Amino acid sequence: MIELQHLTKQYGSKTVVEDLTVTVKPGVVTGFLGPNGAGKSTTMRMLVGLEEPTSGRATVNGRSYRDHPLPIRELGVLLDAGARHPGRSARNHLLAQAHTHGLPASRVDEMLELVGLADVSKDRVGGFSLGMGQRLGIAGALLGDPQTVVLDEPVNGLDPDGIRWIRELLRSLAAEGRTVFVSSHLMTEMAMTAEHLVIVGRGKLIADLPVAELMSRSIRSVRVRSPQAALLQPLLTGHGVTVTTEPDGSLDVIGLTPEEIGARASEASIPVHELSSNQASLEEAFMELTRDAVEYAGETTTTVHPADERTAR
Amino acid sequence: MSTQATAPAGLPAAPDRITLHNLMRSEWTKLRSVRSNMVTLAAAAGALLFIGLIFSAMVGGVVGNPPADAGDDPAGVALAGVQVAQLIIGVLGVLAITSEYSTGTIRTTLTAVPSRLPVVWAKVAVVTIATFSVLGISAFVTFFAGQVLIGSGDVDTAALGDPGVLRAVLGAAAFLTGTALLGLALGGLLRSTAGAISTLFGIIFVLPGLGFILLPESLRDDLLQYLPTTAGSSFTSVAPDSSQLSPTMGAAVFAAWILVPLLGAALAFVRRPA
Repeated sequence: MIELQHLTKQYGSKTVVEDLTVTVKPGVVTGFLGPNGAGKSTTMRMLVGLEEPTSGRATVNGRSYRDHPLPIRELGVLLDAGARHPGRSARNHLLAQAHTHGLPASRVDEMLELVGLADVSKDRVGGFSLGMGQRLGIAGALLGDPQTVVLDEPVNGLDPDGIRWIRELLRSLAAEGRTVFVSSHLMTEMAMTAEHLVIVGRGKLIADLPVAELMSRSIRSVRVRSPQAALLQPLLTGHGVTVTTEPDGSLDVIGLTPEEIGARASEASIPVHELSSNQASLEEAFMELTRDAVEYAGETTTTVHPADERTAR
Repeated sequence: MSTQATAPAGLPAAPDRITLHNLMRSEWTKLRSVRSNMVTLAAAAGALLFIGLIFSAMVGGVVGNPPADAGDDPAGVALAGVQVAQLIIGVLGVLAITSEYSTGTIRTTLTAVPSRLPVVWAKVAVVTIATFSVLGISAFVTFFAGQVLIGSGDVDTAALGDPGVLRAVLGAAAFLTGTALLGLALGGLLRSTAGAISTLFGIIFVLPGLGFILLPESLRDDLLQYLPTTAGSSFTSVAPDSSQLSPTMGAAVFAAWILVPLLGAALAFVRRPA
């Protein structure tokens, strides 16, 4: 269980995290979603005591992270998979972490096996690919068999196989009753992994809801193609209904069901050649939610860079 | 590939907190597992040994002709490699901490030990033990082998029991260990390998020369004796000359040169965000 209470972080006059109050519950994968620069990494860094909050509090199982006598047994974290000495072997990298908590070398070997790095455990990590680095970071996060797991953008750099693997891993961790909190800037990725979403933008909470609810909330529109679209259009407009004419002459209707549109067209004897409903993708729903909160919006599109959020400081 | 993350056998219950002993094991693993660290340590020990042997061989007439003052300070001749070894071991001390910042592993370290301060003491302990033991052995081997080479000529040799000799040999190891710790402190304060190494070399090399040039003659000796290298040579030489502090005073001054930056580094380590 992770509790953030009015968590705020300011660097000078810039507020990176603003009054964030969220409870991350055990048993489900919770996605921490937001565009780059939304304060996700900073929030995670505050959670493990790498940054001091300007105000507010972040607790893990009721206590601040640093007050736990054996912190990595309580919460495992992957913040930056690049944080490794290139000249050190994967096994020694993990051993150095394991020793701090008196964990045996056998636990290190188990974790290397779990993440699929057992064969390269003696190789220097300088030669590791991005994906192997992520796996090593995940091994480190799970080293203490923690009840709570926090991963910052774990999918970055993984191949499709690796992405599927991590999805299964996260779900199985949650199924074991652990709290799993995973950040991403990719809605589609989170929709496939998480059951619950915490969405932030510019450091502020935008939404805290189950994925299913976001899906049902996503905007529906109906595409109507008719040779007499100009006649049909005034019949459809009304309170709460938006009708837009698309470049190909078809109508895009928001606020009416296909059944209602069909009935009205039939009453007026207007032929209809196409009547199809399309659900806005989750990505679009996410963009809609965070539109005002995008830190570095491009001219026409929202560009999401996989770059490290910390550069946004 | 299994996705089961629980340890079926369970993790050991003890210890129930982070102990200094375990942190030292962690720091030792970090130090030994990077090849360049071990190479640096071996290079310092090797420099101490080989430079000492070459000087001893010269004084003993094994190679070349013995200099005019041969036999004046046989222990000092054998320990002639201290200055070079000092530079090498100082780099090890710097790297023991700056490599954590340059690679980002500092965040892993501090996440495992959020209370932070014990990490500093563990690093200090591990660097001290590693350098003092390795360079202590090297200093003794150099001393004894050096005396054998010196003794092969018609020159006086030193014995460990002679006044000040044991102190000078142990002092050499302590001086080198202290330099490593000064490097560690500067690395912790500056968080940059290049910055800390240049500062360390500046203190060792540039300060005495600069002081010699800039200070008025009346103050020169009085102030220069308080520099770490000069203070250190008071207890690494068998008979420090009159312009130097006494061995005890020199050791105290040298210790201050290490302790003050080290405390500063410890404070920075706890206070400044990683």
